[in-house]
Amino acid sequence: MSAIARVRPAPRRIPNIRPRMRRVELGLLLVVAAALVVGGASLGATERWLRAQATGEAITAFGFAPPDPRGLGAYILGLLAVHAAFVLAGRRTDQILLPAIGMLGGIGLLLMQRLPQSLVTQSFGTLELGLGELQLVWLLISLAVLALLALLVRSDRWLRAYKYTWAAAGILLLAMTFVFGTDVNGARLTLSIGPISGQPSELLKVILVVFLAAYLSENRPLLAEESMRLGPLRLPPIPYLAPMVAMWAIALGVVVVQRDLGAALLFFAVFLALLFVATGRVSYVVGGMVLFLAGSWVLYQVFAHVQVRVDNWLDPFRDPLGQGFQTVQALYAFGRGGLLGVGLGAGLPTIAGHLPVPAVHTDYPLAALGEELGLTGLLAIFGLYLVIVERGLRIAAAAQDEFRALLAAGLSLVIGVQAFIIAAGNLKLIPLTGITLPFISYGGSSLLANAIAAGLLLALSDAGAVPPPPPRARRWRRRSREERA
Amino acid sequence: MDGFVLALWVLRLGFLALLYVFLFLVARVLVRDLRAAARGPAEPGRLVVLASPQGEPAVGASFPLDAVTSVGRDLTNTVAVDDPFTSSEHALLTFRGRVWYVEDRGSTNGTFVNGQPVTAPTAIGFGDELQIGEVRFRLDRGRA
Repeated sequence: MSAIARVRPAPRRIPNIRPRMRRVELGLLLVVAAALVVGGASLGATERWLRAQATGEAITAFGFAPPDPRGLGAYILGLLAVHAAFVLAGRRTDQILLPAIGMLGGIGLLLMQRLPQSLVTQSFGTLELGLGELQLVWLLISLAVLALLALLVRSDRWLRAYKYTWAAAGILLLAMTFVFGTDVNGARLTLSIGPISGQPSELLKVILVVFLAAYLSENRPLLAEESMRLGPLRLPPIPYLAPMVAMWAIALGVVVVQRDLGAALLFFAVFLALLFVATGRVSYVVGGMVLFLAGSWVLYQVFAHVQVRVDNWLDPFRDPLGQGFQTVQALYAFGRGGLLGVGLGAGLPTIAGHLPVPAVHTDYPLAALGEELGLTGLLAIFGLYLVIVERGLRIAAAAQDEFRALLAAGLSLVIGVQAFIIAAGNLKLIPLTGITLPFISYGGSSLLANAIAAGLLLALSDAGAVPPPPPRARRWRRRSREERA
Repeated sequence: MDGFVLALWVLRLGFLALLYVFLFLVARVLVRDLRAAARGPAEPGRLVVLASPQGEPAVGASFPLDAVTSVGRDLTNTVAVDDPFTSSEHALLTFRGRVWYVEDRGSTNGTFVNGQPVTAPTAIGFGDELQIGEVRFRLDRGRA
């Protein structure tokens, strides 16, 4: 029996870090790695075969090397490094999110390596980076951001306590874009500060979710219970809805002025979804839909570019070589893909040296994937987004308080809704609005913003995180009113 | 040439198949997770016997724990330990919020966490060793 020694201090202040195996994550990541290697091999072999067909020479040796084996390897190693960091940190975070996101990012990487590298180029000194290499760099940075957030965020106080600061920062960001931004394709989305340029609306969606989650969780009882009747509609008391609607209106207004319809649609959908999650009242959603339809009609009447989008959606074949060109080509691409697709690398022949779908790497990656992987591949990709949303909602259901629940639901829904909006737009289910396909599209801002959302989700999923602060005591006005009655 | 085209086909379909293998594996984990959640909260932990000189309880046996679990020689305890060095009411394990605590109930030979005697209610983490009499346990996470 051991000698009398000091008893360990009762509640340990700093939990000792113990590596913790994550078998599910490791197994799934290995499947991701296998899929990406097979996909890369298929892409490399297809390109070699097409070259041989074009020149008429016979293929003597089997070559299955991916077009950029080192890039693919670096990406897979990056995923495994994040996994290793999670294992060493020993935190009990979600094990599904990283592989699902890794698979989407890998598919995006394969697509960017397969598209003409001259689509986007950037040179740093003597170093010239093409589309695939740039995407790889952004993917690795995003993975690092995701891992850092997932490991370092142990308390959410910095998010919930400063909700108005975050909202103000978001509005400031938008205003800066409006004043200093540069126009690309008629929309003022890009903000350049020195050598760095980005699309603030991507970051804004995360800020919006944080603000809405903090605001709704604090005022949820009021919004859910107290109501003001306006005909058949039950509305919450106006003073409590006003800051939220103001935040929404400012975001929406500036976004409309910037002609970023996709972001506006995304913000509004997330706003309604979170309102519903917080209150569970269908009347809010119905009211929001009515507002949305009325707003859309006004926008259609006022803005020419909205009319163009809607007309293209209704009948892209009216002007197949002009306004409807992208839509028509995307539809042809989906049609060529069929059930199983033509194979990675075999789709999208250039027409007279140009890509048939000019924005294929940002707005239309789904058209390229639909052509090369077919309906089967697209359904698998949609399945991956569903998995991310399911994990987010599970994390929300297991969350310890309302702010975390709303934040988790909002972060996963923002990814899911964005994927839906752009996928439905590409497939001509709704008018096309130019936003990126999360984790697949080319673009640093998009990848980073989605990595931040995923990193926060992972941090929220930790079963050992710092418990949330006790709810603030608050005198509801309802009580005094009841006392008066 | 034909072999190459065939291999290309295999690779193409293999990529799609692997995507679905991935989704299938994920779906299996998700279903398991949802089933576990539907069953209600899992047991908060279990005690696994690491060493037991008297052989009762047997080494390797594991006891699912309640939120309040008493350990001792008496048969009325949640975990009954038939060991001569164990008092009839030896120790009490309580799950408070998200942390297990152990306290000694005035036992003759003491309760030890990782070899150190317990004098006041002490937090005990998963994977820690708990010694009661001559029987050594390990506190494990409950099975989902």
